[in-house]
Amino acid sequence: MSIQALGITKKFGKFIALADVTLDIPRGELVALLGPSGSGKTTLLRIIAGLEFADTGTVRFDGRDITERMASERQVGFVFQHYALFRHMTVFENIAFGLRVRPRNVRPAEATIRGKVHELLKLIQLDNLAQRYPSQLSGGQRQRVALARALAVEPSVLLLDEPFGSLDAKVRQELRRWLRQLHDEIHITSVFVTHDQEEALEVADRVVVMSTGRIEQEGTPDEVYNQPATPFVYNFLGNVNLFHGRIDNGKTYIHERETGHVVYVRPHSLEIDRVPNGGNHFRARIKHINAAGPLVKVEAITDWGAVVHVEMPQERFRSLQLLKDDAVFVIPKDVKVFQAVSQTTKERKEAC
Amino acid sequence: MAGTTTPNGRRTRGMGSTARATSESWIVRCVLIGITFLFLGLFLFMPLAVVFATALQKGVSAYVASFTEHDAIAAIRLTLLTAGIAVPLNLVFGVAAAWAIAKFEFVGKSLLITFIDLPFSVSPVVSGLIYVLMFGLQGLLGPWLAKHHIKVIFAVPGIVLATIFVTFPFVARELIPLFQAQGSEEEEAALTLGASGWQTFFRITLPNVKWGLLYGVILCNARAMGEFGAVSVVSGHIRGLTNTMPLHVEILYNEYEFVAAFAVASLLALLALLTLVLKSVVEWRSKRQAQENEMDWSAAIA
Repeated sequence: MSIQALGITKKFGKFIALADVTLDIPRGELVALLGPSGSGKTTLLRIIAGLEFADTGTVRFDGRDITERMASERQVGFVFQHYALFRHMTVFENIAFGLRVRPRNVRPAEATIRGKVHELLKLIQLDNLAQRYPSQLSGGQRQRVALARALAVEPSVLLLDEPFGSLDAKVRQELRRWLRQLHDEIHITSVFVTHDQEEALEVADRVVVMSTGRIEQEGTPDEVYNQPATPFVYNFLGNVNLFHGRIDNGKTYIHERETGHVVYVRPHSLEIDRVPNGGNHFRARIKHINAAGPLVKVEAITDWGAVVHVEMPQERFRSLQLLKDDAVFVIPKDVKVFQAVSQTTKERKEAC
Repeated sequence: MAGTTTPNGRRTRGMGSTARATSESWIVRCVLIGITFLFLGLFLFMPLAVVFATALQKGVSAYVASFTEHDAIAAIRLTLLTAGIAVPLNLVFGVAAAWAIAKFEFVGKSLLITFIDLPFSVSPVVSGLIYVLMFGLQGLLGPWLAKHHIKVIFAVPGIVLATIFVTFPFVARELIPLFQAQGSEEEEAALTLGASGWQTFFRITLPNVKWGLLYGVILCNARAMGEFGAVSVVSGHIRGLTNTMPLHVEILYNEYEFVAAFAVASLLALLALLTLVLKSVVEWRSKRQAQENEMDWSAAIA
């Protein structure tokens, strides 16, 4: 089912959680709502689910206006960050709940319910834990049960609120791949909220980047990462070095002092060399080296005292034989320039 | 259970390892424990023993006779009736108030919380007087009630009203922190799964606070049956009509009927002991629930 949110505004007291947000999610897509806390992403998800109601705006499923519908009538599957499993029920009863509460005339027979629950238990690979209570499961297992419980009612959309937020890194990785696989199998329109850009870029078909109650950009992971529309998106998706700069005759110059523009360069778009290669470069001194991981992270200080972060492959690092306090040349490869308009200070605030 | 492993795999520290920084020398411990027992013995166990000893002074038949006598039966019946009305009403009120306070934001919420505690902070005599001032002949609604031949004060309705007033904080106070701690995620989950409001309440909300609720009800009941001050003011002490058990005990005692007085008192004491036992059981179970959430109630509510 497709989801449309049109002109959604929501205030909590004086705080504006969502300011005239419009979003269109085509049928069968897996979409990530990505943003820092307070960006309104969870509020938007809860409004789609019917757990929160917008002050203005409409929500449509497949073109039908469901703005006034209660959560229980919307047929959404909702997965909560902290699982929200029914603690006094077994795993089996948790998953069966949505079927058992149906009005008598549409409630499946007991045998059908049992069959359905076991099928879902197999899907989440917890068939042997049906009689356990939620407190006896690990975080990853609980979240899978929560997912199965949501899927049991055969929802038309699946909404996940920071589904992997309270899991440790390893389980998180595993579970998000599993979610991607699951989505490829059942093709249910899914929206998940996350503040983890890596998660959004890895799992989603499309990423919607939000900040301060607005949508900054939406597009494929490739689009939002490689062609960020706003400084905020650039900043939020991955690490970045900021420089003051100006544009002259189509050329970008980096400056020490405040100018009209801000130059954004990703750490892996900066190259380090021992000799100036003739082109654009500036001088820096190595301050710190972290060689753990696939990329070596180098921290250097420029002539004018700014800190730059550079990432390079291990081979390159080894061939340069860099050491702390070495004087080097830094060569920007790919930069993005935005108008300054005191945006940098604004963004820093937002990113906090 | 020294060093046992729970089903969750958590190691629990056994009784054997008491080498904590705060533990005292054995002399200090003995003195403290001794004082505690001496104090409890003097002020609790001995009086309790005296109650039963005096009640049984003239043998079991005299003991039994004192509460099979007509006025005593009437008093017991009135006490049961009063508790039977007050406890269910306060159960409903308590759940509703706790629900409203824990789950909604509204104007006057903190005021409501304060007012729920009022019966605890005000003297029971004052609680009784409030009703005399409202429903008594010289009271606010007195003339109107008299015109319609409704008797509240010095009659059963007054006793029930005073008891409800005195006991209404128990359930609400027990539930508010529970509701607040649990948040509303489970209820939201139930709603998205298609459950109606009532289904959510009876299948999710209530089972989660079951033990806390029972605890509140037990305390509420104990107070409802044992209340003296407020009920004394509104009762009028009409034998066989408006005497509850505590009032009956007082009357008998004032008439030097010690055996009868202590016999009825022993019933109240037994009620208190039973309440303590139930309270401990419920406390133990709710603690277990909090720790492991292992109880199987799904069958009970399915």
